[in-house]
Amino acid sequence: MTKLPKCEDKKLGLLIDLDTCVGCHGCVVSCKEWNSSGSEKQLSDINSHQKDPVGTFLNRVHSYERENSCTNETETFYFPRSCLHCEDAPCVTVCPTGASYKREEDGIVLVNEDDCMGCGLCAWACPYGARELDLVSGVMKKCTLCIDRIYSEELPPEDRVPVCVKSCPTGARAFGDFNDPNSDVSKKVKERGGIDLMPEMQTKPVNKYLLPRIKSKDSVGSVGSVGEEETDATGLLGWVDRALSKF
Amino acid sequence: MHPAPSIILFTVLSGFGFGLISIVGLLQFLSQISAVNIIIFSLIGLIFSTVGLISSFFHLANKKNAIKSMSQWQTSWLSREAISSIFCLSIVVGNIGWVFIQNRYINEVGIVLFLLSLFTIFTTSMIYAQLKTVPSWNNILTPALFIFAALAGGSILLMDYASLVLLLIFGVLQVWFWYIADQSFMYKETTIGTALGFSKNENIRAFDFAHTNRNYLLNEMVYKVARKHAIKIRYISFFAAFVFPMSLTLIFPGNFSVSVFMLVFHLVGIYFSRWLFFAEAKHAVSFYYN
Repeated sequence: MTKLPKCEDKKLGLLIDLDTCVGCHGCVVSCKEWNSSGSEKQLSDINSHQKDPVGTFLNRVHSYERENSCTNETETFYFPRSCLHCEDAPCVTVCPTGASYKREEDGIVLVNEDDCMGCGLCAWACPYGARELDLVSGVMKKCTLCIDRIYSEELPPEDRVPVCVKSCPTGARAFGDFNDPNSDVSKKVKERGGIDLMPEMQTKPVNKYLLPRIKSKDSVGSVGSVGEEETDATGLLGWVDRALSKF
Repeated sequence: MHPAPSIILFTVLSGFGFGLISIVGLLQFLSQISAVNIIIFSLIGLIFSTVGLISSFFHLANKKNAIKSMSQWQTSWLSREAISSIFCLSIVVGNIGWVFIQNRYINEVGIVLFLLSLFTIFTTSMIYAQLKTVPSWNNILTPALFIFAALAGGSILLMDYASLVLLLIFGVLQVWFWYIADQSFMYKETTIGTALGFSKNENIRAFDFAHTNRNYLLNEMVYKVARKHAIKIRYISFFAAFVFPMSLTLIFPGNFSVSVFMLVFHLVGIYFSRWLFFAEAKHAVSFYYN
């Protein structure tokens, strides 16, 4: 059913720390790998080894630069973009076939591929570009929050998290229940101020983002003064320094 | 948004088809049409709307599940449209059959057809008007424009002065729609700043692409049309869909062969108008690709 459930029990989602993300695309690759192996439901590629390759991904990492109004320096940051499992998911209510749905027990937004007719309206309704139509199978693909991992009974307990979280080398991604005030993700959101993307679209995203910490003038200044006059080198370099300083 | 020919043809042809059916229904209710004309014009309307619906079917990437689109009428405008159009067309077929066999018609069926076909056009327009992600569509002008474009087109063959009024309303709505569409995100909160979780007026730009080639999102939702061409196409559309039929109706009132000629021009104009409707529409996701 495309009616949105209340989800009073659990709200599972991701917390993504833009201060920590280094833009390595590791989550993109591992997501593609996990969601393309071991099942018939592949994320397809067309012309993958030729000119103009295109493919379906559930996660994309963008690179931006932002002007720091405090220091007038330009700072770069990386932005992983995937489904936010919104509470008021517009992609679910627009679906004519009932393929799109939001689970009542944990709030995960999914597509039942056996019902999808590939009209693409849900992708139009999503402001975040979280849904991509698979051009080979003709059905809509989106992040499942690795539902086949988090509830798996075969995987060891430490692997029962979305693969993007598991594979992130910097720990920029965390997974948890945003409805539980004592969960790690909820605590971090409270501590560092978790942010909604495009709140004006009234989608109430479950996933939250932590923004890059603002660099102050002092921190930039100390970087600029390294290695000018003084040196505290010891050993051979110290001797060279002292010897050269005599002239 | 990508101006897909299958969707443009669908909205133009089925819009005109349902517009014609609603005008026939109105005239049938008012006893202003002969039984023969009900059969002929209902059949024309039926053919156009069916061809339009078939065209929309070709837009689907997974056609075998199309029948399931009738199931979610409680929340989905696309589902409501599918049900309403099939229901309306069944009554049209029934009405044609009744008039053909009995050689007379029931006036009340006319008003049912009038309202049901208007509702069908409304559901089509709401598929677009409901999308908050596309501000130029997300307003009352979208349904108003779709309904009056359909009524104006439908009335060209069957009405004289009433057709002028409908064309005039359509013309005004069209210009108004373009005026609003030009503002797109201007008065909305969304910027690249809010898209990335910052405040509205952050100075942010992409310095590298998220992927090396185009993808579904870019092909479908980040369509850019050259501004100077868009203005020219607006002139062509407005002339063909509005100015030309309007002036010919004034010069040759009640001349049927002229009105057929006008209708062809009108539909070509509406085609251009719908092309712009999609091509000029800016989707929120385009901010991520600034």
